[in-house]
Amino acid sequence: MDITKLEDFLDDSGIVFLSYGGMLTQDLISNMTDALEKEAEKNNVSMSASTNIFTIFVELSQNMMNYSKSKAENNQKFDPKGLVLVGYNKEDNSYYVLSRNIVDITDKDKILPKLEEINLLSRDEVKKKYRELRRSGLDKHNKGAGIGFFEISKRCDNIDFNFKQINENKYQFMFQANIINKQKQEK
Amino acid sequence: MENLIIEETKYTPSINLDAKKGLIELVGKSYPENTFEFYKPMMDWIEEYFNGNELPKTIINFEIIYFNSSSSKLFFDFLDLIEEMANAGKYIEINWIYDKDNDSALEAGEDFKEDFEKLNFILAEK
Repeated sequence: MDITKLEDFLDDSGIVFLSYGGMLTQDLISNMTDALEKEAEKNNVSMSASTNIFTIFVELSQNMMNYSKSKAENNQKFDPKGLVLVGYNKEDNSYYVLSRNIVDITDKDKILPKLEEINLLSRDEVKKKYRELRRSGLDKHNKGAGIGFFEISKRCDNIDFNFKQINENKYQFMFQANIINKQKQEK
Repeated sequence: MENLIIEETKYTPSINLDAKKGLIELVGKSYPENTFEFYKPMMDWIEEYFNGNELPKTIINFEIIYFNSSSSKLFFDFLDLIEEMANAGKYIEINWIYDKDNDSALEAGEDFKEDFEKLNFILAEK
């Protein structure tokens, strides 16, 4: 294995770090968040952009962690191989957080309408809906409030997602949130 | 009534519930794995505190740098409980403390302030 090639690839793609394969754990997530904080400090990322990046990273990672765990607890056959990465795009001074994992068709049918709805909403509408759902607790479940994708969407500039069918029951779910590193405006 | 102190970790805030001072304080980040479980002792303590153990004035200091969406829901439920207590005549002051450069924390505070109009909710820049 040529590590230099991997390093060059990571540098060229602006990848700050990534985690691939295996199950995510809370410790791993918090260590990655620590690394992110150092990166943000080093690169003078505004505090607003960096807290948004951390929050989105945590949401996506915990989603994947909880999803793998729930599958493992139910003894379902499941491929825990997930990917989560944070990258930087020099061209427009933006960061992105990307996650990819395998989900069942039943979960795709739950997630997709939510994401499609979010994509039709303006930023203010996303914020409004987020607060409505938080108040009503309508989508609350034992691990969370069911408002994670709204949380992500109100903290980034745009989202991108797709579901690629692997077989009859499984889809590869890719999700990306882009965060522009706006400089703090002088008041 | 006993105080309840929970030390800060990388992903949970320090929690200081002091019945003798009438102080409820949360400082740090909040993204526990099992949010509702993690905060249950705090919620239980608060119910017990306001069940006749409270001081004439209670101060709540919230200084949360960032939090996940389940914590956001938990804080909402927490403030809902506090509003109930305030409506029942308890005097409570809430300080939402944020760093001047942390727009997201300010926005989160503004949203809570709007959601709980009846509460004495103060946005306090650090």
